[in-house]
Amino acid sequence: MSNIAGKAYAMNVITPIRSRYSFINRWLFGKATKTPAALLGLVTLSLIHYARWVIIPRNSFPHLDASQPKEELNYDYMIFQSNFNGSWAQYVDSFTFAIPAGLDLFWKWNVRYPKSVPLTPFHDYIRHNQIDTCHYYSAYPMAASNDVKSAKVLKQALCDFDKASAGKPADEFLTDYHALLNAMQLHLGEMRPTPVVSMAAQAVKDRHSGTPEKVQGFKGANDSAEPVENSASSRTPPAAPLSSTDAPEYS
Amino acid sequence: MANTGGGAQALTILSPIKNGYLGETTFADETFKRCMNIRIHEESPLAKIPDTYLARLYVLNDVLYESKPANDTILNLNDLFSLFKGKYRLRGLPKTDKLKSRYLVFSSNFHGESDEDLDRYLKNLYLHWDYTDYYGKRHDIHHIWRHCVAYDKVKSADDFVSYMRKCALDTSLFFNGSNGDSLKEQLKALYLKQELSRFAINHQGKSAGEIQTAWHAFIDRVRPTDLEAPSWKPGQSTVRTS
Amino acid sequence: MTSSVMERQAKVAGKTLNLSDIQGNVVRAYGHIGYFHARYLFFRINDPGNARAFLTRVAERVTNSAYADSKRNTRQTTSKASTNVAFTFAGLQAIELPAGSLMGFPQEFAAGMKKRMSILGDEGSSAPEHWDNIWQKEVHLWVSINGLSNADVEERYQWILRQNKDSGDGVELLSGHRGAAGEEDLMFQTGAILRDENGNPSGKEHFGYRDGISDPVFEGQPNAPDTVLGRGKLLAGDKWAPLAPGEFLLGHLDEAQEYPKAPMPRSLAQNGTFMVYRKLHQNVATFRRYLDDSAAQFEGSKEMLAAKFCGRWRDNGAPIVDAPDDAGKKCWDARFEAADAAEKRRMLTDFHYNDDIDGARCPMSGHLRRMNPRGSLEFGQKGAFNTPSALADRRRILRRGLPYGQSGPDTNDADDHGIIFMALNASIERQFEFVQQQWVNYGNDFKEGNDKEILLGNHTGEGKAVLQVEPGSGKPPHFLTKLPRFVECRGGDYFFVPGITALKMIAAGIVDPT
Repeated sequence: MSNIAGKAYAMNVITPIRSRYSFINRWLFGKATKTPAALLGLVTLSLIHYARWVIIPRNSFPHLDASQPKEELNYDYMIFQSNFNGSWAQYVDSFTFAIPAGLDLFWKWNVRYPKSVPLTPFHDYIRHNQIDTCHYYSAYPMAASNDVKSAKVLKQALCDFDKASAGKPADEFLTDYHALLNAMQLHLGEMRPTPVVSMAAQAVKDRHSGTPEKVQGFKGANDSAEPVENSASSRTPPAAPLSSTDAPEYS
Repeated sequence: MANTGGGAQALTILSPIKNGYLGETTFADETFKRCMNIRIHEESPLAKIPDTYLARLYVLNDVLYESKPANDTILNLNDLFSLFKGKYRLRGLPKTDKLKSRYLVFSSNFHGESDEDLDRYLKNLYLHWDYTDYYGKRHDIHHIWRHCVAYDKVKSADDFVSYMRKCALDTSLFFNGSNGDSLKEQLKALYLKQELSRFAINHQGKSAGEIQTAWHAFIDRVRPTDLEAPSWKPGQSTVRTS
Repeated sequence: MTSSVMERQAKVAGKTLNLSDIQGNVVRAYGHIGYFHARYLFFRINDPGNARAFLTRVAERVTNSAYADSKRNTRQTTSKASTNVAFTFAGLQAIELPAGSLMGFPQEFAAGMKKRMSILGDEGSSAPEHWDNIWQKEVHLWVSINGLSNADVEERYQWILRQNKDSGDGVELLSGHRGAAGEEDLMFQTGAILRDENGNPSGKEHFGYRDGISDPVFEGQPNAPDTVLGRGKLLAGDKWAPLAPGEFLLGHLDEAQEYPKAPMPRSLAQNGTFMVYRKLHQNVATFRRYLDDSAAQFEGSKEMLAAKFCGRWRDNGAPIVDAPDDAGKKCWDARFEAADAAEKRRMLTDFHYNDDIDGARCPMSGHLRRMNPRGSLEFGQKGAFNTPSALADRRRILRRGLPYGQSGPDTNDADDHGIIFMALNASIERQFEFVQQQWVNYGNDFKEGNDKEILLGNHTGEGKAVLQVEPGSGKPPHFLTKLPRFVECRGGDYFFVPGITALKMIAAGIVDPT
């Protein structure tokens, strides 16, 4: 599995919720979106890049074609997907230590939610209902959410300083430069590849850094190589990019 | 709908996978395997999709649950009525759900708040998705979605966009714990953060004149307002030695 | 919570802690009763039956925590030396603990310290291949002797060896400890408190810092109400309360209001704890040189810089948040001189970082802040968390180690000296490993990226630390650059320290997980 991309961990938790209560969750989520104070704990924890709660009403799973059987479900489902920093245990634990009330508010209406304290039933609840990610990508594996946020502050300050100090005599320049460093003193942490935070992280690292001969693809139940397609007709690859302006290049 | 927040957008795609077999492997297991074989970091196809912050692929096999769901958390009248008649106890017992399809889930966080941003993002997925897997084989996006229901009707980027929109789910609550700047902006900022720290260390205690001269050279080198270069590459997983 | 409620709670808990069933050195450190000398022995179990017979004999003299009861005259109720026993997971297997019980132990304990090296950052010079010879062997049993004098320790040592002989040599004392004279295969590890120039115990370690000042305080410790300031958990309104005993003792409720994960039956876990044993070598010469070199560029005295590394001043342990610079230190010292014993104790421990959110006093990478951030992870957002120290309360560890070796003025890095670090906690993974992993060798929780804790971090000579200054002062922060590794791991493992009853059950071979 690959729940880990550098400093980020991908969590997917899917839990049933009684249809007649799911409106309460929607209402709470709506409120939370409009009330910044409700999320103060989450913001202060600062372990999350992005997280989302998606409620799928029992009759709303995507249905694309008459050939696809219609789902017949008793419950609505809530999918929680998070991109967080640190280990699984650190994240789940931090939630229950720091913001137990907030957690309970969001999950309360889910069937058999155990409440966030005590910890072990909550651990089990998340662990049992978590779905592993097959492929996880982060645009900045070396950066935590803290780093992305502080980099934005720092870039602005750096540009402002550069503009303001242009053409100043050296001693004035130095005063401004010191003021810049003073203002940025909490934004100067070094970014390097993540330390190994769990045995699973070690496994992902080993797989990725192994030599081509040693690293194996994930083999299916009955194949030692890619099987030949025998269903859909082979298709043409996507057309070339529209134009060079639509296809940004990173250097 | 709360798919957006602070310049970022949450995209949740559930594409039903056809029930059936490729050889002796179900389409869903085959899809799972293909997702597992995508290389990570710089080599992920998602590194080529502009403005992707974080994204993932997984297969939802069923609405698994740690056990049968239990009764209501608040008052359950069936429990009370079962004092009088056994059938109420049965009625109060949990039900078990089974999905009839397995779903390929694509979940992305990307820059851009509008519907047009979403369309452009989906189009870029189609056009730029290109990677070499752990077997050394090169693939386009069809390799992953090929076995999804009705995907065989996708013949163009526009088809792909409308297909994905049919599979997309609304977000009930989106929490943006980061910022919603463009990815290039974020990567440049990260690059500058690293470079400024190093500059500060290397010039600690030097004279005003020395630092000022060095600063100009530094700015010429790091080009703070140039988002293209020098900067971090999407998915960059190691510190480059410069 | 009012202080009277806290006191009442502590009293109730104090009554419910069965001190005589808890091994010594757990509830109260041996240093408090003058046990300044120690030997650590490690055994392999060769014959489980005879090993149990040996343990049955030893268990009769295993020291419990009754001496911690402040109502008793402690010195008279304890002997001149102590004995304590703990097992590795391999040891519990070797002594034939039932599988049903073995399976209940936490995974990190079962794996052992060596297999957790990547999580602990034990790489480079700390990697297991550089550990003392003994750690290249499979260790089963830890027996420690602490005593008033070396002679007392020696006498108990001979007694223990006799018990093994008399019960059929079921266990084998393993050699392989490094020693001061370049030995590679000593039969035991010694530890002893360091002494000042007058020969009095200094309570310091080899870098010159006073050690072990603010160990956590938990409910049930007889002295908890008097010592809780700065050492318990921080509540709203700057109030302190003792931590839940289950953070350190199995079979007691913890901070999540549940019993810590422990093996069955309950009686096997009751009053036990997990111990992390690590021989931490200190590169004293490197440390002194680095401090001298850095002080040359630092605005402030060398001692102030040393205090920045740690969060405490070296001479008397003054917390740097209350004595932030050389002038502040003078004032603090004057107050300290004039204070009575209780006030002195308070001055050393009763502080937090609420007025030092930016790290201008105690740097973000300073030892104290990293080991126990108190309420500072709220970053000034009062009320953001359940309680101000919510993120720290479940990461605390009891430290029960002693220094080993000597480090005179001419010492070099190669000399065998450092600290026998022994940490006690209910969950090695959640407490010790977390602190080591996230707070010592990484800095994200402190918004410092990959910057490591200054003194203990597994530096490679490339890393840095930022010593923050007063925000708005216009001064630049001071950068420590090219940080070398001051402390290296030279071996160790994870141990289960059973309660006295549990130890006797193990020795009798009657543990029943049913």
